[in-house]
Formats: sequence, C-alpha cells, structure tokens
Amino acid sequence: MVTDLALLRLLQLVSPGLPIGMYSYSQGLERAVDDGWINNSSEAGEWICGLMDNCLTYIDLPILARLYFAWTSGDEDRVTYWSRTLIACRETAELRAEDRQTGQALARLLDAMEMPEMQVWIRKPETTLATVFSFTAVLWDIPKHEAMLGYLWSWLENQVLCAVKLVPLGQVAGQRLLADLAAKIPGLVDKALQLADDEIGGSAFGLALASSRHEMQYSRLFRS
Amino acid sequence: MSSNSQEKIKAESCGWQAALNLNFVATTDKTVLVKRDHFGPLSVQRPFYPEGGVCHVYILHPPGGIVGGDHLTICAKTAAHSHALITTPAAGKFYRSSGVQATQIVEISVAEHATVEWLPQETIIYEGAQLKSLVKVDLAPDARFIGWEILSLGRPASAEGFEYGAADLNWQICCQNQPLFLERLRLDAQAFAARWGLQGCSACGTLFATPASAESLVAIQNLIGDTKGRGVTRIDELLICRALDGRSDLLRGFFEQVWAIVRPDTVQRKACAPRIWAT
Repeated sequence: MVTDLALLRLLQLVSPGLPIGMYSYSQGLERAVDDGWINNSSEAGEWICGLMDNCLTYIDLPILARLYFAWTSGDEDRVTYWSRTLIACRETAELRAEDRQTGQALARLLDAMEMPEMQVWIRKPETTLATVFSFTAVLWDIPKHEAMLGYLWSWLENQVLCAVKLVPLGQVAGQRLLADLAAKIPGLVDKALQLADDEIGGSAFGLALASSRHEMQYSRLFRS
Repeated sequence: MSSNSQEKIKAESCGWQAALNLNFVATTDKTVLVKRDHFGPLSVQRPFYPEGGVCHVYILHPPGGIVGGDHLTICAKTAAHSHALITTPAAGKFYRSSGVQATQIVEISVAEHATVEWLPQETIIYEGAQLKSLVKVDLAPDARFIGWEILSLGRPASAEGFEYGAADLNWQICCQNQPLFLERLRLDAQAFAARWGLQGCSACGTLFATPASAESLVAIQNLIGDTKGRGVTRIDELLICRALDGRSDLLRGFFEQVWAIVRPDTVQRKACAPRIWAT
C-alpha cells in the first residue's frame, strides 16, 4: 500500500516539471510526423500505443522492476548489469543519448538535493533514467508497482505532449488520447511483472528507423 | 503426393537437427578454414579466394528451407588476424508451420584484429511461419565485424502478406561479454502492418559495421539523402543502417552500396562481391 507521502513523492518524480529536460525529447516522433507516417490523433495513438505494448512493456518496465529489486538489496553489480542491458536495447545514438542524459540529469539533481549516493551516477556511461528513477523510488518508499505505473505514465504524458506540438493536436484531443492510453497502463505493468529474464527485449522497427532518420533531419525542435 | 512434400511432412514431425562449426586461422598469406565440422544438412563448399587472403565461404543448406521443428546452429570462430567472409548461395526460407517453432542460432566470435563479414542472402519468411532466430556476435578488442540481415516477409509477388505467423528475431552484439547492442524484433501480423513496425513493407533490413568512423556515417547519410524508408545511426563505433522497402532486391542493392562505403573504412578493403551473388 502506498502511503500519502510516497504518493506525493511519486507525483514529484513523474512531473513534467522535474528539471531533467524530458520535454526536449520526442523519441523519433518528430521524424515520424515529418515523414508523413503520423497525421492525426488516431495515428499518433497507434504509434504511442504500439511502443507502450511492444517496447516499454518488454524493455523498460521489466528492467525497472529488476533495478528496483537490486537497489533494495544494495546490489550495485546488478544495478550496473541491468543498466547496461537497458542501454544496449536502445537502437540509435539519439535514443541512447536521451536515456543517458535524462538519467544523469536526475542523478545531478538528487546529488544537489543531498543524496550523495547519486554522485557517481552523474558521469557513468551506463546511467539510464530507469537506473536513477528506481533508486529514487526505493529511497522515497514508493512501492515497485506504483513506481512502474508512474514511469510509464510519465513516458506516455511526454509522448502525447510531443504529439500535441508536432502533429499538431488540439489540447482536448491530447487529453482524450492521454486518458485512453493511460487506461492500458495497469495491464501492461502486470504483464511486465510476469516476464522472465529471457523474455525481455522488444524492438519496434519503425521507431528505430524514425529515430535514425531524425539524426539527419534538417530542421528539428527536439533532441531525439 | 510427391516425395518432396513427404519429406517436408516428415521433417515437420521430427525436425531436422543440423549444426555447422567453422574455425578460421590466419597463415602468412591467407586465412584458412581449419575446421568445418557438420552434423545434419548444413555444410560449406571449398573456400574461394577472389581477393588475396580473405577466405570467402558459402554455407549450404541442402533442404533449401526451414520448417517447424527444425533446429539449425551455425558457429563461426576466427582466430587473431584472420578474415572470413561468409555468405549463402541462395535465399534462406522459413516455411509456413503447423504450429511448431523452427530455430536458427548463429554464433560468431571474432578474435583480436580478426574480421568477420556475415552477409547471407535474404531470408524469406513465409506467411504462417513460426520461428526464433538469434545472431550472437562476440567481439574481442580491435575485432572487426560487418553483418546484415535482409528479411522478406510473405511473398508479395503472390499477393501474400504476413497476416499470421510469428518471428522472434534477435541480434546480440557483445564485446568481452558486455552487451553493446541487443535487438529483438517480434514480428507478427500487427507488427508487419503497423506504423511503428514494418508499415506493411515486405522487405526489412539491418546492417551493422564496427568499427565505423564518423566519415562513414556522413557518407551513408549522403547516400540516403531524401530517400524514404532508409536510416543510419552510429552508436560509439557501431554503425547501424536500417531500411524498409516493398522489394527485397532493391533493399539488398542499397545494402551492397552501403557495404561498398563502409568496407574500406571498417575492414580496409574495397568491396569485392562474392561471385555467387552475380548468379
């Protein structure tokens, strides 16, 4: 059961106001729109939902759960192992840089908030957002299940906000999309929790291609 | 019933088990295939040397296709300073399955200052196929590797797509047991059709080259220009080029151009297409 204070801490951790620069990353969405793959709300929904189902559920969430367990058992070797595995699953230079930069930015923030354990993670090449997110969740007594819900929610909210700016979508259409897709999150977290180690991994060819093409996009607003 | 289809049924009920183990060693003037153990229907022809010391090898799979229950393992090891180019004389095929999964495992280990080029012709995955494949590449420090996988889903010429079937396609590239790149494509009807997947394109391909310079990246970006469905990235020194196309022959032509760009950089040799590709 999540305590009131832990719930508030989770809201802080998943807020778009958390100064780690999430808003500057579109994860290939900018190029997918530019290439004409996504033209409206339903196509944006198909794209985002496909990534939740096939990538986040098979990569980020099960690894986040393992990182959480590694931090609770004080096993930094396992933290490093799963962080390296997660980074190796990122299919392009931009997707890798995004995960590393947002993870390191969160580590820098926590260090400045008197969590010196995070200082070494500011510069480690294997630092990912999930590495530092899971550390924070453990420290703030946010249960694993809620941490996974929050991680996927914050990813989803950022993607929808990108779609609102890029497609573009109206504010109401954006909120409707967010509400529809958020309804899937509990089932995806349950599914992710059931995966064995050898079931981890799920790539989306369209995402990898869009992100590769974003790296050579002439004019762009986003860093990924 | 033809004997050919009887064989297929027999194979589906028990499956072909086949394995091939290749070891390459560098001598003073060329790379020699010193070991070629095989079990079941997998073998290699006598190596060719069309470009000096590089050992060109063609892997043969006499049944001509893989059915549910088949289990193929190919293992290639190169000793320090050796250089092997491995390809196939024809497209690989995974046939429709009645439900049993086929597996293919390729393990490539590249020693220090050795080079492996893994350039099989395209793999045709028939609608309804059930398969799992893994290409695992272990790189020593200063090892060089170029590899590609070109998939052709369904048979577009017969208006066949990929409305059922499941392919679990893995690539694992490691350096001294640390993962550099892990990819797992789970292709089914949804992933075949979706925007985030193959967008209904029957051909999909990924090419890897390491170590590749920033100059190679720029040269390939210039080659791509405004062409749709082509992309390239460089993660540290690992270059990854991806493409989607309605036709696997066009995709392969593009990858041969990319290979001609990266090969002098990664392997310090001009492209020398295996003779079998022209036939």
